[in-house]
Amino acid sequence: MKKNISFVANDRPVNVEVWPGSPALDFIRGQLGLTGTKEGCREGDCGACAVLLGSMERDGLVHYRTAPSCLLAMGELDHHHLLTIEGLSSAAATSAAAAGADKGITPVMSAFLEENASQCGFCSPGFIISLTGWLMESAILDVAGAVVAVEGNLCRCTGYGAIRRAAEALVSKFASLPPPGPERLRVLVGARVIPQSVLDFLATREIPAARTDGEDTREAQGGSAQVARPGNASPSREISATQGGTLPSPGGSIAPETDRRKSILLLGGGTDWYVRNPEPEETDDCFLLDLLPPFHRIARVADREGHPRIEIGEATTIREFFASPLLRTAVPGLENFEQDFASSLIRNRATVGGNVCNASPVADMTAILIGLGATVTVGTPGAAAYDASAPETGNGVSIADASPLSTRTFPLEKLFKGYKSLDLNEGEIVEAFGIVPLTNSDRHVERFNFEKIAKRRSLDIAAVNTACRIAVDSEGTILRARLSAGGVGPTPLYLEKASTFLEGKKLSKEVVEDAADIAVSETCPISDVRGSAEYRKRLLRRLIIAHFIRLFPDESLVQELLP
Amino acid sequence: MKSPVESILNVTGKTRYIDDLPVPTGTLEAAVKLSASARGRILDIDATRALALDPSVRVISARDIPGTNQTGFTVPDEKLLPEEEWEYQGQPVVLCLARTRALARRAAVLVTIQGEDLPAIIDEREAAAANAFVLPSRTMKMGDPEEAFKDCAYVLSGTVRSGGQEHVYLETQGAIAEVRDGEKVFVISGTQGPTGVQKAVAAVLNLPMNKVEVEARRLGGAFGGKEDQAATWGALAALGAWVSGHPVRLYLNRRDDIRATGKRHPYSSDYRIGMDQDGQILAFEADYYQNSGCTCDLSPAILSRTLFHATGAYSIPNVRVTGYMCRTNLPSFTAFRGFGAPQGFFVIECAIQALSARSGKDVTALRYHNLYKERDITHYGMPLEGCRTADAFDRLIERTDWVSLRDRIDDFNAESRLYRKGAAILPVCFGISFTKLLMNQAGSLVHVYQDGSVLVSTGAIEMGQQVNRKIALAAAGALGVRVERVSVERTTTLTVANTVPTAASTGADLNAMAAVVACESIHKRLKAKAASLRGVEESRIRIENDLILVDGEACDLSWEKLVIATFESRIDLSAHGYYATPGLFYDMKTERGSPFAYHVYGAACVEATVDILRGSYTIDKATIIHDMGNSFDEKVDIGQIEGAFAQGLGWALLEDLQFAGAGGVPALSMPGKLLSDTLSTYKLPDIHFTPGKIEIEFLPPREGPSALRGSKAVGEPPLIYGIAGYFAVLDALLSVSPHAPILADLPLTPEKVLTFLFDARSPKAEPGFSGSLPSGGNQPRQQCQN
Repeated sequence: MKKNISFVANDRPVNVEVWPGSPALDFIRGQLGLTGTKEGCREGDCGACAVLLGSMERDGLVHYRTAPSCLLAMGELDHHHLLTIEGLSSAAATSAAAAGADKGITPVMSAFLEENASQCGFCSPGFIISLTGWLMESAILDVAGAVVAVEGNLCRCTGYGAIRRAAEALVSKFASLPPPGPERLRVLVGARVIPQSVLDFLATREIPAARTDGEDTREAQGGSAQVARPGNASPSREISATQGGTLPSPGGSIAPETDRRKSILLLGGGTDWYVRNPEPEETDDCFLLDLLPPFHRIARVADREGHPRIEIGEATTIREFFASPLLRTAVPGLENFEQDFASSLIRNRATVGGNVCNASPVADMTAILIGLGATVTVGTPGAAAYDASAPETGNGVSIADASPLSTRTFPLEKLFKGYKSLDLNEGEIVEAFGIVPLTNSDRHVERFNFEKIAKRRSLDIAAVNTACRIAVDSEGTILRARLSAGGVGPTPLYLEKASTFLEGKKLSKEVVEDAADIAVSETCPISDVRGSAEYRKRLLRRLIIAHFIRLFPDESLVQELLP
Repeated sequence: MKSPVESILNVTGKTRYIDDLPVPTGTLEAAVKLSASARGRILDIDATRALALDPSVRVISARDIPGTNQTGFTVPDEKLLPEEEWEYQGQPVVLCLARTRALARRAAVLVTIQGEDLPAIIDEREAAAANAFVLPSRTMKMGDPEEAFKDCAYVLSGTVRSGGQEHVYLETQGAIAEVRDGEKVFVISGTQGPTGVQKAVAAVLNLPMNKVEVEARRLGGAFGGKEDQAATWGALAALGAWVSGHPVRLYLNRRDDIRATGKRHPYSSDYRIGMDQDGQILAFEADYYQNSGCTCDLSPAILSRTLFHATGAYSIPNVRVTGYMCRTNLPSFTAFRGFGAPQGFFVIECAIQALSARSGKDVTALRYHNLYKERDITHYGMPLEGCRTADAFDRLIERTDWVSLRDRIDDFNAESRLYRKGAAILPVCFGISFTKLLMNQAGSLVHVYQDGSVLVSTGAIEMGQQVNRKIALAAAGALGVRVERVSVERTTTLTVANTVPTAASTGADLNAMAAVVACESIHKRLKAKAASLRGVEESRIRIENDLILVDGEACDLSWEKLVIATFESRIDLSAHGYYATPGLFYDMKTERGSPFAYHVYGAACVEATVDILRGSYTIDKATIIHDMGNSFDEKVDIGQIEGAFAQGLGWALLEDLQFAGAGGVPALSMPGKLLSDTLSTYKLPDIHFTPGKIEIEFLPPREGPSALRGSKAVGEPPLIYGIAGYFAVLDALLSVSPHAPILADLPLTPEKVLTFLFDARSPKAEPGFSGSLPSGGNQPRQQCQN
């Protein structure tokens, strides 16, 4: 079913009827004729199709995020500002000094030219989009950050040396930009890094009087099961139209209770679904979960006993997950694992729920959540949940409001029935995850670690991943332990035996090694392109030991555990 | 320096690749149906469902070919579309056309190919045992290794394996074809060799070559993958256009491209090496089993480069090396930057590493001790002139402060238990010229227009190596004008005929020389005109940098005036240039000759850190000393070196091309299936993988053979430096277990690292999980799709 969407493509308003699930790349190249955006792999692995998407986010400000347009649903463009390489180029096209072929060279492009960072040129627009996005949004503008910004862009010609030098030049040129926000965007428009159309978009979206402070505000609302709606202070519906996340929800096309006979596509960020469906066929309906308030949120709530819990809506993006102050406080050091997850491009789109619901046995987010002891809430949302525009009233909509039908909450590991198979009833979808914050006191510490090994450190699927949450008292006795593992069986695993074994034991070389052996005994890996079964067992054992080396670096234990 | 127009178009997104070009109204998009198993017989092709999809759908198979169903250039063993049997999994069997690409792809899915599978050969050793060769073996020999082994204190033998490598040119293969005037075919092809495409199209359509025009614009990367193998896609598009009467565009998606096209050849090799007590290598023998894939393609030329570079940068008096081109049911492996040389280098370096382990002699000292020296004779009988291996090695030792670097690494390793560091120095000696003699020629066409602007056409294809920039600089120099006056045109078979592919690092050497030859002849005419206009002897005139000089003084005759005066005197302002590399000869019978115009020398040091708990590693730093001759443009040449190094590093460590049933990968029920057929399963270097610190220094130029204006080719030689990454990681591993057998199996993935570390430990400390694997039950094999 086609829907009407409207957005701004560079400097032109676009109003068009599309099936919301169609990939943006094809529309950008085919319908808009903007062929500077390239198709390189159609699975988000090369970044040649990167574009910038601007929208109002839950902090009440307009932000621009990079996205691989091959994995981007057209519906996500609704009310957004799409910037392609042609749009960036227009920023410098009116420069008085520019003429002929020199027209339209922005400072980022100029850095590429100076350093000879473009050889065959096929990847260049994607790199320039990524670096421009980094200049627009990165809080700290250093070379390391620029490198992370282009980690999802492949270049086969340069070996990245010249690209790195171009990034260094940009770092010195733009060392003193204002913090991310409207002021920085204005400065960048002035510097002809980005076009005037950004300011025009800003002007249509700015609501300076009614800014919320995002999550922290909602934390203050904690104590009930009430869930804050992102951007509820905005007068326009665009405010809820922020990032999307990964995959389709359960199986990609679960019909809500209201209408079972139709083929309905429920998409998270689409970053896995489009890999499997590069040229999807139109469905009767298509819902983009990240545009739906009940599914796109992070909030601190309290359970019946008053214990704090962080609730993560299934359509929370991976970037938002790792950037969340609530989660960073609840799980200290969580941000250290952000770069283990895909690439910065993918993290802008992929969702927590999508990564889980794709049901890959080696999904990184699933391993992290199971390790943290997360619960999952599944439910059969009512029609209201699928209406992005309806709930404008009130100070937040709870899941209960949107879901008149029943919900169930249970440990995440129980969601997985078998290979790529979820324990969901007809019409049920995954709605949210819950995490109990780590605790620390005079008498105990609680820590978390995640380990992942793949052939390539960045943007690669793990051979094995594992997470560990462990509480130890001052005597070195393990109070609680949770180990998870991915890539070692048909489903993501909670290593129950190893976890139980550890509880009550004193930390020692023998205990850790025994736990690692028990962990391995709980798995049944197979051989595939990412590693043999034998390797996976050996690796898991090593990574279990690595948890303890990372988590207790000061203990003499480390020396004993090293190979 | 003002940026070349091509680069400006690139960064502003205006460069138009095959899929970005406007196409005529009525153009049909194409898709290919690929074979589903390694070998089989076609019983029936049923297109009913595909044709029912949309009225625009056309389904084209071998029987629609009006001419010869043949695209093999070296040996006629390559059918455009199979008639009776398919020979590898992923072979195009049927071409589907439709008004949109999505429809064409859906049509390709709906075509059913009824067939029966036939027995297939996947591994190169399996092929050798079955006597399945593409062509007879080749042997190069010098001295008497058998005899020399008797004098050696150390004689070792071993087996070395190196995997294939996918090109991953960012722009996949493609072509646009159109029938013009009812009998002519015009093809825009993403190719390194337009003449090859022209020949294939002419053969398939039964047309003379003068009815087929092939144009190549910019390529979005090629690296050898579009040298021979672009012909298939150009010919398929032309066939589609011929049969349907519509223009046709064929642009492969990534998965089809990876499945259907050739890659770098996997090799396995057996060597024997002998060294005396003092560390002098006296004898080397090797048998190279090249997995050639299902057709000949460029395999013989690639094999000959393996043999030429069998001793790496080392002088070994007694050599016997033999290469076998093993025919298997895999895609036809093809040219990839380095062209067989990397496989040869890897074997000799593994052998030297093994000698070091056995003798206890320092591996870097062994390498240094055995380097080629000036006027050493190679095992193919060519004396090395201007040999710079020792220069590069010496400078590298100095620049890296190698002795203290080693000390620092040893100190670190003595202290650290979680991480180990390693470093390796690798010398390079790389011959420049096509190993196939006849290919060392090039043509050009130069026009000076009446306003003094200059247009140069050559056979060179621009794919980011900035060959057009080099050609423009060379042409401007030869004409005596500023480079801004020179425009280098795209390559078409109309302007320059019988081109050789832009390959073998020779693109600039050959084509710039051809342009210079043409420019010099125009320059001569202009000079004569200037002399007559000024009434002086020709010898007193010079044309330089847009100025007409008489006795070294600028006169009032401008370039524009001279050009128009020459035109008005009815003197030709155009010229065709032709160049053939002089001095090349080779006798295939004796395997002796001078196959290279010159050699490029250099050395690289790579440093690595290995996490010995997890088996992962990082490449920390690379230092490269490179013999560039007189660089035309240092930034361009550094870009080539960094890019080639990254590809070499990827091949050595990361890029894991896995065919079921080859190179130790289990065949299971799908022999010949490419398991890493997407960019999510086939990983190539990203910005984190390549070292943040790459230092490159050019050796000061010295007298000796070289190319135009004392420059040297740069495309391929630096790829070899990447192999140093393998030995740097190995060096770190050997610090854990100095007496473990040398790992000689590339790429050195984290799995192999962990396996090495695991095997290095006592089996009791960390029990193995060998024995029967736990049953996987009904689990699908591809469980790890994210």
